[in-house]
Amino acid sequence: MSLNPEFVFRVLVFPGFAFILLFTMFCDWVERKVEARMQNRMGPAYTGPAGVLQPLADFVKLLTKEDIVPFDTRNVVFRLAPILSFSIFVFAFLFLPVDGVNVILNSNFEGDLILILTLVSIANFFLFLSGWSSTNPYSAVGATRVLTQFLGYDIPLFILALAPAFLASNLSISAIASSQNVPFILLIPWAFALFIITLQAELEKDPFDVPHAETEIVGGYETEYTGRRLAFLKLAKDVQIVLGAAIAVELFLGGPYGPVFFSLPAFWYALWFVLKLVVVIVISEYLTCVFARLRIDQVLVANWKVLLPLSILSLAATVALSLYFNPLMR
Amino acid sequence: MTNAEHEIAVLLNNKLGEKILQTGTLQPGRAFVRVGANAQRDALEVLLEADENAGLSALTGVDLGKTIELMYHIRTRKIIVTIRTEVPKEDAKIKSVTDLIPGANFHEREVADLFGVKFEGHPNLKRLVLPDDWPKNLFPLRKDAEVVVPNRMENADVSSGDGQTSSDGKLINIILGPQHPALIEPEKFSLKVDGEIVREVEPRIGYVHRGIEKAAEKRTYLQDIYLVERICGICNACHAACFCQAVEAILGVSVPSRASYLRTLILELNRIHSHMLLLGHAGLEIGYETLFQYMWRDREAVMDIVEWLTGNRVIASFITIGGVRRDLQEETIPKIKMELANLKKKMGFYKHLFENDPTFKMRTKNVGVLSKQDALKLCVVGPVARGSDVKMDVRKDEPYAAYGEIPFNMVTYSEGGSWARLMVRLDEIIESINIINYVLENLPSGPYRVRVPRIVPAGEAISRVEAPRGELFYYVKSNGTAYPERVKVRTPTFANILSFVRIAEGGNIADVPASFVSLDPCFSCTDR
Amino acid sequence: MRQMAKLSPMLREVFSHVFKKPATRKYPEVKPKVPVGFRGKHVFDISLCVSCGLCARDCPAKAIEMVDVDGKKRPLFHLDLCIFCYQCAESCPRNAIKSSEIFELASTDKSDLVVKPQTDFQESGGA
Repeated sequence: MSLNPEFVFRVLVFPGFAFILLFTMFCDWVERKVEARMQNRMGPAYTGPAGVLQPLADFVKLLTKEDIVPFDTRNVVFRLAPILSFSIFVFAFLFLPVDGVNVILNSNFEGDLILILTLVSIANFFLFLSGWSSTNPYSAVGATRVLTQFLGYDIPLFILALAPAFLASNLSISAIASSQNVPFILLIPWAFALFIITLQAELEKDPFDVPHAETEIVGGYETEYTGRRLAFLKLAKDVQIVLGAAIAVELFLGGPYGPVFFSLPAFWYALWFVLKLVVVIVISEYLTCVFARLRIDQVLVANWKVLLPLSILSLAATVALSLYFNPLMR
Repeated sequence: MTNAEHEIAVLLNNKLGEKILQTGTLQPGRAFVRVGANAQRDALEVLLEADENAGLSALTGVDLGKTIELMYHIRTRKIIVTIRTEVPKEDAKIKSVTDLIPGANFHEREVADLFGVKFEGHPNLKRLVLPDDWPKNLFPLRKDAEVVVPNRMENADVSSGDGQTSSDGKLINIILGPQHPALIEPEKFSLKVDGEIVREVEPRIGYVHRGIEKAAEKRTYLQDIYLVERICGICNACHAACFCQAVEAILGVSVPSRASYLRTLILELNRIHSHMLLLGHAGLEIGYETLFQYMWRDREAVMDIVEWLTGNRVIASFITIGGVRRDLQEETIPKIKMELANLKKKMGFYKHLFENDPTFKMRTKNVGVLSKQDALKLCVVGPVARGSDVKMDVRKDEPYAAYGEIPFNMVTYSEGGSWARLMVRLDEIIESINIINYVLENLPSGPYRVRVPRIVPAGEAISRVEAPRGELFYYVKSNGTAYPERVKVRTPTFANILSFVRIAEGGNIADVPASFVSLDPCFSCTDR
Repeated sequence: MRQMAKLSPMLREVFSHVFKKPATRKYPEVKPKVPVGFRGKHVFDISLCVSCGLCARDCPAKAIEMVDVDGKKRPLFHLDLCIFCYQCAESCPRNAIKSSEIFELASTDKSDLVVKPQTDFQESGGA
């Protein structure tokens, strides 16, 4: 494939790499500000107007700190795990329609929903490896918790993602997004609610905060990371949050498609995408603020005894009701 | 009160006969009995048989020159009975009582550390409050202890070291502390875990040991008030009150009634702010950050009230020997009442939250359960005991300050888990607000302090105060100069730490912070 | 899981806080109002002092040093040792030591943390 400048621009700047990075930092700021307001305090306020530059300042600060690698760690995995998980999350992001078409032109294919969800699982596995490769008992406990929780929520996540795919009769994310004349959240709201809760488990936020519970196991799998590697590990987690919210937006909220008021549809599509994503992040943050952290055995009970049956039921309900929805889809 | 003392003296005389060398009373409610060495076990057995709620309050050591006097303070039937015995300094050993009262474990280790008394039969006589590399034959609280610069390398006692890597096959050794996000103050707990279940817990305290008991002997009584206040920032008024009460008992002065009411006011304000601090901290430990932020925002109202009353937000410096240091102005009273009315409404919301929030209950109910028998055997005090249905509160058992005249309820819950202990504290906040309202409405007029001489005549006294964390115990002995001979402080968390070992073993790692925080540990108090 | 059925009161409380002003006081732009009787920086009135030395004797932190000023002994307050208990003010038989409302004492220069007996008459914020 020849390297035309438009392709390079799309990959590197918008809606590619640079956009993802800056958007991640913006979403981090939104998260922190919303959490602060819900807790009746100020949040970031001094770096930049209203504290917007705070996530960037944190990232840069971590880059300047000393990088300590403990003596006994398995070096290759320890050093590579943050970078690998970060890059896999960014790579998965490239498959999502942000301004109406994909980043890598014509790269959408039937089944890329499964690919994205699998990439998320693989990147999570790298987070587990990052904890397992440090020789710290706290990291080991945190890593096993990541894996235990992962086994619990992955299957419900897949099943819940199948509901909109069933309604759209297509396993390609851009096709699902573009086939929503009526956003699916209005047609199958139960699937959206369950999806958001399962997303909380995947993103390791309260009530499923247990893999990096600070008050019990210091940092979980990120205990031994310092300096640049910690910066990338944190960035990987932030990109994971944005990616999870973006999947929810594409599957349930109609993706980037929305009313276009005057010309330049790409701009409007990107704007709708950003706004919808911020809404999902606010909902997710609200759930974080309202609940305490569950214990790992309670998380397992919640996953296997509650989420899994409910997700199967929701898929069944979607299939049953799809006869009535089909006219709305045409 | 004297009936109880008389009964106990008669009982001991009957059972022990010639082993008793002397009986007497220091003040009302403070009986003592002097026995020969190693007869303290028999006296202890008699007292434990007579009252199933008897417990060891403190174990004091005093250096008398050629001998070391050991005093076992037993609280029973709402008075304190002290069993006194002496051991010679050169050959300081005595039989341990941990098989009779398991709660005496830490008390004996502390006396062994600071005085050099060997307790024969103690299961684990390792260092408790002094660091591991302290010189082996330097006992700080003896009067003839010399100041040396220790050679830390040669004295290091590394036999008790525990490494990070897994030691017993499949048991991983997780070390909680001394620096850990779950602990507000440094203390080390070595947990041996098997997967997620905790099998063994070994605590090590003493990281904040500042030698306050020894420092108190080198300062005058007036300076000592400020010294003991700084044992703990959170319950500082209780330390000052307890110390001043002990000195006033030796002097034989009684404070004017306005001073008693004002002391009650600051003590209850201390209790409210300490409990709110703990409830917020409990939220933080179980991952409920929102609860933490809200609770500490509401706590600011109490800090403001303390500032209006004493001039400072945290360390009150309000109580002095003979009364209180400044008066409460009339125009502040309506402001205090308004703030407290707001606080009471907010407490109603928190009570509703604790009883109904699903994730909160899932993390704290049936977590860290301490049964009533264990609570009595380990001699725990305060809300930890009241959460396990032990009815013990110094304000009711032995009213001090103005508590004898103020109607209030003792709060107990019977489940014994973390949730019960947190609810005890929440209800106590509401009771404290009621007590303060009563105090403000019935404040007697008159002087707020009396002048006391600077030189205190020879004598000894014991005083007890219900601090937010439990029973605070002071023993003060004076020798007729301006400096005290011995000041012994037994803080409530020192008595409660052993219960953590009991409730953590057998539970999840994830329950360790939740059950730990419900004990309300304050290590500045524990280590002194 | 039956417990999940009851709604937590926190749900409504957290939601309502989104629309409230934060409880944070924006220090240092907004300074707190200090109450009457606040224990701040010491104010020493040399005209009332009788050189008895009780303040230095009773100070728990040994923060008061009696220095020679014009032939008489006067107290010098070391604020970096002081614990602000104001026992000195209580022990003084002539009420020569009073408090002020100044609490912003942090400084990079140790000589700022000393209240000298001859020159410190604080008019502003004197109690």
